[in-house]
Amino acid sequence: MNFSEYVVSRWDTLSLAAAEHVLAVAIAIGVAALVGIGTGLLVHETPKARNASLALSAAILTVPSLALLTLLIPLTGLGWGSTLVALTAYALLPIIRNTVTGLNGVDATTVEAGRGMGMSRARVLMKVQLPLAWPLILTGVRVSTQMIIGIAAIAAYVDGPGLGTQIFEGLSRLGSVNALNATLAGTLGIVVIAVLFDLFFYAVRQLTVPRGLRVRH
Amino acid sequence: MFDTETEGARIELRALTKHYPGQPAPAVDNVDLDIPAGELVVFVGPSGCGKTTTMKMINRLVEPTSGEIRIGGKDVLSLQPDELRRHIGYAIQQVGLFPHLTIGQNIGLVPKLLGWPAARIAARVEELLSLVNLEPSLFHDRYPRQLSGGQQQRVGVARALAADPPVMLMDEPFGATDPITREHLQKEFVRLQKRLRKTIIFVTHDFEEAIKLGDRIVVLRERSHIAQYDTPAEILARPADDYVAGFVGQDATLKRLALLRVEDVAPVGPPQPTGLPQVAAGTSLREALDVMIAHGSDRCSSPSGVLTYAALCGVVGTGRPSSTGQEPEAVPSLPAPEKVVAGGR
Repeated sequence: MNFSEYVVSRWDTLSLAAAEHVLAVAIAIGVAALVGIGTGLLVHETPKARNASLALSAAILTVPSLALLTLLIPLTGLGWGSTLVALTAYALLPIIRNTVTGLNGVDATTVEAGRGMGMSRARVLMKVQLPLAWPLILTGVRVSTQMIIGIAAIAAYVDGPGLGTQIFEGLSRLGSVNALNATLAGTLGIVVIAVLFDLFFYAVRQLTVPRGLRVRH
Repeated sequence: MFDTETEGARIELRALTKHYPGQPAPAVDNVDLDIPAGELVVFVGPSGCGKTTTMKMINRLVEPTSGEIRIGGKDVLSLQPDELRRHIGYAIQQVGLFPHLTIGQNIGLVPKLLGWPAARIAARVEELLSLVNLEPSLFHDRYPRQLSGGQQQRVGVARALAADPPVMLMDEPFGATDPITREHLQKEFVRLQKRLRKTIIFVTHDFEEAIKLGDRIVVLRERSHIAQYDTPAEILARPADDYVAGFVGQDATLKRLALLRVEDVAPVGPPQPTGLPQVAAGTSLREALDVMIAHGSDRCSSPSGVLTYAALCGVVGTGRPSSTGQEPEAVPSLPAPEKVVAGGR
């Protein structure tokens, strides 16, 4: 059986695994974006809280994914639970870092002009700093997404959802029938998902970055 | 807020002090100042003298350590700061337009904060764009990045005027533009202020600008101590001390001439449309002098009559060309007129 025959014959399994992979990444990135951007908004002005949250999220990222997933089993069990927790945790650092950098990178005189016109601190943050930082924040979310699409494959070790199962099954039976095809299908599937997510974020960027930030002279 | 007046309100500063923690000396030390309603008062002084800090205490971007501020009789320190700021126009050198909002949205921001109905905001934005000479149909929907520096500063002024505040604070609002644009903006602004009669505090380190714009000038030294507070003509004619004289510079008499127009001098004869260098009505005496020097003539003709060099010397108090009087350095040894200030006041 060549590769295309394999894909056709296992289409149901493959498409379900791919859909699960996308879903796991989507849920994790959604939660991480909410938590990460929220954290960034809260801590960007207080150096201690800012450094603590960045250090913590950086520390999580240094834990090997296999170890983190295994360590989570007693807490969140096998399968979806541990997968989602781990993916969300890994996605936080780029989002928090870019949110903090973006908010603090807004020109101080722009912030002062807002305050001087009688906008409250919170209003300046939400109506001026957040929109101006948005392109950078979105880049953070995009980087996180690309990162956890790969990590999601490893979730197969804790019986998690996604295309990782194909890869690991293939690798463990290497040399036997369809082993290479399974590995290849899983890997290529992940590449396709990564490209699709990137296209998605390109569209989001076009739709949500304020026009005033995109115009040229 | 200030009795709903939109024409100027009087500003009073009493023993106003700002002492930043951990600093040996206060940044602003015990300032007493009365700014009459409807006047444009320029704070001028070297960098770091506390002029901007003093100004920012008035809209409480900087909270005073002690002292009192009253606008139109109201105690500013008892008001809610955000609410206070919505009733004080604020324009800064870097303009600080919001790049993600259109020009119309930028100008309409304070009225929106004040809860004006949309139709009234739209009408006001149109009016203000016309007021600062930007064609509303062209600029309303553009974004700040699509505008030149000079256009952005006009929008900055329009934004500060948006809610028709009785008081405006302006921190070098024309500072970031090239000299030609700046001069143009200054002239426009003087014309605008003649109509609007706001109480304006205008901060600059450029004494020329202070003379051109100010009804009165406050010359500040370090810690915002007032060296002199008077009209431009008075400061030029009688600087209080060496510090102020240093600020005025070596060409005080020329600067005084720039404040006066040909109409301010009694002509020695009827206009002579031929044979003499001609100057237009409304020309400053400094420009008239420049014309005379350029033509090697001791007189020139304007629509109001013939003007002589002796008459020019007369108005600035030296009496005759070969002065022995108070300002021996000024008139007889004329500096080269390379930096002619176009009058326009």
